[in-house]
Amino acid sequence: MIEFDRVSKTYGEGAGQVRALQDVSFSVAAGEYVAIMGASGTGKSTLMHLLGGLDTPSAGVYRLDGVDVAGLNDDGLSALRNRKIGFVFQQFHLLERTTALQNVLLPLIYADDYPADAEARGRRVLEAVGLGDRMDHRPNELSGGQQQRVAVARALINDPALLLADEPTGNLDRQSGLQLLSVFKRLHQQGRTIIVVTHDEQVAEHADRIRVLRDGRIADDRRVPEPRDADAGLETLAASEGAAGAQQPEAEVVP
Amino acid sequence: MRITRIARQGARSMGAHKLRSFFMMLGTLIGVAAMVVVMAAGAGAKANVMSRVAGFGSGALMVNAGGGRGHSMPQEGVVTLTPQDADAIRAQVRGVDIAASQAVKRGASIKAGSAQAFGTVLGVEPSWHAAWDWPVERGRAISEEDMLTMARVCVIGATIERDLFGGLDPIGQTLQLDNVRCQVVGVLAVRGTSPMGGDMDNRVVIPLTTALRRVFNQEHLASIRVKLSDPRRSQATADEIQALLHERHHITPPAEDDFAIVSETDVTQAVSGIEGTLTRLLTALAGLSLLVGGMVLMNILLLSVNERRKEIGLRRALGARERDVLHQFLAESLAITLLGMLLGTAFGWAVALGLGATIGMPVALTWAPVAIGAAAALAVGLGFGIQPARRAARLDPIKALA
Ligand SMILES: Nc1ncnc2c1ncn2[C@@H]1O[C@H](COP(=O)(O)OP(=O)(O)O)[C@@H](O)[C@H]1O
Ligand SMILES: [Mg+2]
Repeated sequence: MIEFDRVSKTYGEGAGQVRALQDVSFSVAAGEYVAIMGASGTGKSTLMHLLGGLDTPSAGVYRLDGVDVAGLNDDGLSALRNRKIGFVFQQFHLLERTTALQNVLLPLIYADDYPADAEARGRRVLEAVGLGDRMDHRPNELSGGQQQRVAVARALINDPALLLADEPTGNLDRQSGLQLLSVFKRLHQQGRTIIVVTHDEQVAEHADRIRVLRDGRIADDRRVPEPRDADAGLETLAASEGAAGAQQPEAEVVP
Repeated sequence: MRITRIARQGARSMGAHKLRSFFMMLGTLIGVAAMVVVMAAGAGAKANVMSRVAGFGSGALMVNAGGGRGHSMPQEGVVTLTPQDADAIRAQVRGVDIAASQAVKRGASIKAGSAQAFGTVLGVEPSWHAAWDWPVERGRAISEEDMLTMARVCVIGATIERDLFGGLDPIGQTLQLDNVRCQVVGVLAVRGTSPMGGDMDNRVVIPLTTALRRVFNQEHLASIRVKLSDPRRSQATADEIQALLHERHHITPPAEDDFAIVSETDVTQAVSGIEGTLTRLLTALAGLSLLVGGMVLMNILLLSVNERRKEIGLRRALGARERDVLHQFLAESLAITLLGMLLGTAFGWAVALGLGATIGMPVALTWAPVAIGAAAALAVGLGFGIQPARRAARLDPIKALA
């Protein structure tokens, strides 16, 4: 579904030129759950931006669902982002003073046809991420974990081919992070294609496959023989913290 | 439709930042309000001038006793203007249809039984009715026979009729003017407001001979009303009358005239000159306020584009095209100026009505300022909104999100 064929990305010109990605080739099949790892400055975000159609390669070919992204203008790229990609960012990026439901419906504004059942769809995806009882809350009335799950619901509203998450657990505590990964696990089980960018090996190990970036190249590409189970992780966490009397109610929210 | 969904996002952003939006709309609000006041005052002044000029009558001149310029009233105590001057004008000046003498007493007390009114007593010749285009509505006018017999009769205006007789028929009733009793023989047609803004229907009109001999005890006139046979020769006729009166009153320029000739044009200019200054001032304020308001709007919007980089980047990531972002910001700018226009119109009307009620400025509310205000709001919203909107649309989504 995703094909990267010797993709390079360079920033700037001449002496100040930075080669953020060099001759990167890989493919992702529909339904795969892939983690991209790497230290800071190795080109993870650059790769995300290319995958998400926010930027185009300097060289090489990127095909999404058979479409060469290099051939698209701003309208084409925007439509691609709107229909095929669901973004989850480290900083959540929810609109303030806007309810969870309205945040989730935001991508539909940029769809060619606003679906008649938009609100029902919004409620459904919010329920799917365990926020059925928080639809009318504003971001400042939600915890970080809840905000990030609103962002996931927003990413899902257009039923995208690819869910792209850039350090999605970076601003979350351990429990909220596991809850998010539990949501990803179920989406993966339902056949959704997911790419998670992270520098955290434990997070990466929830995926089927890990690709490691180093200096703009893929240095390692391995299958995870036994991916971590986020639900099991949550149970362990609850058990250890429950003993300390610090159980949080949020643990029960995720179905 | 996509564009309406996006426009709604812009309008919602206006509602979400009320204070910021208020400052952005202030200029449009004040500008439109000033314009509404200008146009209300303008329409009022125009209606006022028209009615005042109508009160003066067209195709006519006034020769007033006493010097002075413009539309000054006849000066009391000046005794140089006489019925013989009127005869001479009639006989010697070309293009004069009628020259009707009139003697005047203002603020006269007029009684009928126990009722009292104050008004203007006019002693007139029978031709006075034609000279003023001012017929009687009921009863009869002042006649030649009244003049010859110094008859104790009068014709009254609508205000006097109302004040002294209420709903009763005044014809045949008796009035008391100083020591003279007059019988009411007619009621004048309603005339309205004079060029000076006074009530023209508070008149009691009596024969000139009766006025001079029996009531005022004088030989001189307050003015001569001249009706022109050709209104286009108004200036030439005025010049001839001036020359004739110079000769008759033994005046050699540069000595000052003891009379003043007032034409319709003088009245129009004098009346509209007052409102003209105010209008120019407020128009300048309206234009300046729209301009300054537009700049403020633009700069706050530019700042807000900077503040909202993340929001813009997010929208782009979720599928907004460059022109979707452009449209959103233009919609916000337009929503602000259009709301400013609506509030400004309401505010302007309130101010205009307030001025009308307190300082008696004539105002007339019309729909024209609403249309012009909408056009101005559109122009300011688009004109000053386009640059911030372009900047927002051209933001690199990656940098905006970083
Ligand atoms: N817009 C840009 N202009 C210039 N250099 C950039 C830009 N974005 C990223 N880089 C450089 O490209 C390299 C990879 O950056 P990035 O993809 O952000 O890495 P990561 O997300 O793994 O930290 C870094 O050296 C970074 O400084
Ligand atoms: Mg990064």
